[in-house]
Amino acid sequence: MKILKAIQLRSSGPHCQDCAYFQNDPALIEAAFPGLTTMSSGFASVRDRDGLCNYHQLYLSARDSCPSFASRTADRNHGETETSVVTR
Amino acid sequence: MSTNNTETTGTDVIKPSGWQELWSKEDWWAVWLGLGILILAYGFYLSGSSIAWIAVAPAKWSTLSQLGTQFSKNGINYLALLGAFLVLFSIVVSFIGQKPKAFIPAFIFIFILSTIIYAAGNWDQASHYNLEPPLVALVAGLIISNVIGLPRWLDAGFRVEFYIKLGIVLLGATLPFTLIIWAGPVAILQASIVSLITFFVIFFTARKLGLDHRFAAVLGAGGAVCGVSASIAVAGAVRAKKEHPPIAISLVVFWAIILIFVLPLASRSLHLPTGVGGAWIGTSEFADAAGLAAAQSYGGLAGAHVGISGTADQALAAYTLIKVIGRDIWIGIWSFVLALIAVTVWERNETNSKVQVGQIWWRFPKFVIGFLIASVLTTLVVHGHTLADYNKLVKPTLVTPIISLRTWVFTFSFLSIGLTTRFRELASVGSKPFVAFTVGVVVNVTLGYLLSVVVFGHYWSTLVTH
Repeated sequence: MKILKAIQLRSSGPHCQDCAYFQNDPALIEAAFPGLTTMSSGFASVRDRDGLCNYHQLYLSARDSCPSFASRTADRNHGETETSVVTR
Repeated sequence: MSTNNTETTGTDVIKPSGWQELWSKEDWWAVWLGLGILILAYGFYLSGSSIAWIAVAPAKWSTLSQLGTQFSKNGINYLALLGAFLVLFSIVVSFIGQKPKAFIPAFIFIFILSTIIYAAGNWDQASHYNLEPPLVALVAGLIISNVIGLPRWLDAGFRVEFYIKLGIVLLGATLPFTLIIWAGPVAILQASIVSLITFFVIFFTARKLGLDHRFAAVLGAGGAVCGVSASIAVAGAVRAKKEHPPIAISLVVFWAIILIFVLPLASRSLHLPTGVGGAWIGTSEFADAAGLAAAQSYGGLAGAHVGISGTADQALAAYTLIKVIGRDIWIGIWSFVLALIAVTVWERNETNSKVQVGQIWWRFPKFVIGFLIASVLTTLVVHGHTLADYNKLVKPTLVTPIISLRTWVFTFSFLSIGLTTRFRELASVGSKPFVAFTVGVVVNVTLGYLLSVVVFGHYWSTLVTH
């Protein structure tokens, strides 16, 4: 069954939350979505760990994944943060 | 494989573990603070004392000199209350990653305004001039933010959702658990009928107008389940385009603010009992805070000169049962089902993810747990007391101070709705989303009226809230 195959109990592999294109800081989401704080919150449970994908221009779960995943490996160099993006 | 370099702030991704959510989400903090306050209140009550000294609130007054006397007599108590709120809320904002330095002055501002509004609501002529505190708070906030304007950094103190969730946990302490068990199934039935029909109306209208499947689902959830929270939950679940959630948010905020005024006004003109009016508001309002403003406002008319039967508690109880138990707690299920449909039917190419069952829990509004525990605790404490004992002992020393604290945080929330609503900053929505959502609003309000008044009217008008 197509539907049953789409259900997953536990995720595996690289996730959006480890991707260089993904941002889910609640304060950033509140700034990106005008009016969000008027009747909800970036810090609400319903939002889980969702965030913005700057590659596909989507709002999605941090637990998602895609073929364009780019790992985020941060190095501290002279007080700056540099990210190495490795695209598979 | 290809490699390139990009800059990042290093703070844009939050990866809390399951346990870290216990102190990184507002929902859990509403539970910790709400239950902490209750346990403290029970402790004082059992030792023969009360938290009433700090849960101070303006009493009824008829002249300004009376009001002045009240404040001069209880000035220390108000300062202690402000201090307690500041300490507790500063801890919360620190843990969730905000800056107390910005929060503290913003909260002092909102506390002073709330004190004025709370006091105005207790003027003995307030109902004569329709000065219901929730609506006064909302209008004052709207005027300040849209006409006068405030510095953006003050937004740190306008945490609408946190205040309302804390208030709902405290509200649980004043609702018998037996009432939730007795009325819960009807609330779920009524809310489910309206939610499903409203969702499909918005969804298929949006599709008919040519809008994307996922956008239609985000709009439908906003109108059918729990407003902005539902829209962003479903947006994340179905992987909506990033420009879609702001449009749904604008539509929900626009209609929710209109309905805050329209639903109590319509209920009043129809002379609906408070429980029935609360049920209608719970069925047809979108966001928790907006609905509570409307329900509390309508409940405040009970026994007034306008001939509304019932009690203020009945309006709040009916509203909360339908909104929280009937609608809010199902957001995880909605998200899961719609995510499944998005992956299997709407054919997404951008990601290759499967749908995780866990999101039913991850997206569950956790403050509801605090609401239910608070109700159980109070029911156990009250159990065994006669009605006379309850009115003489339990109510003044335990329940009334909790109601007072609840009214404070609700007022913070209602004021914050107005203060954060900047109409010119809301995303422009376009005619098609507006039409689709508005058709849903009409169906929702009409169906909500039929079910609350005609089908289950007797049920909601006879709620026993003590």
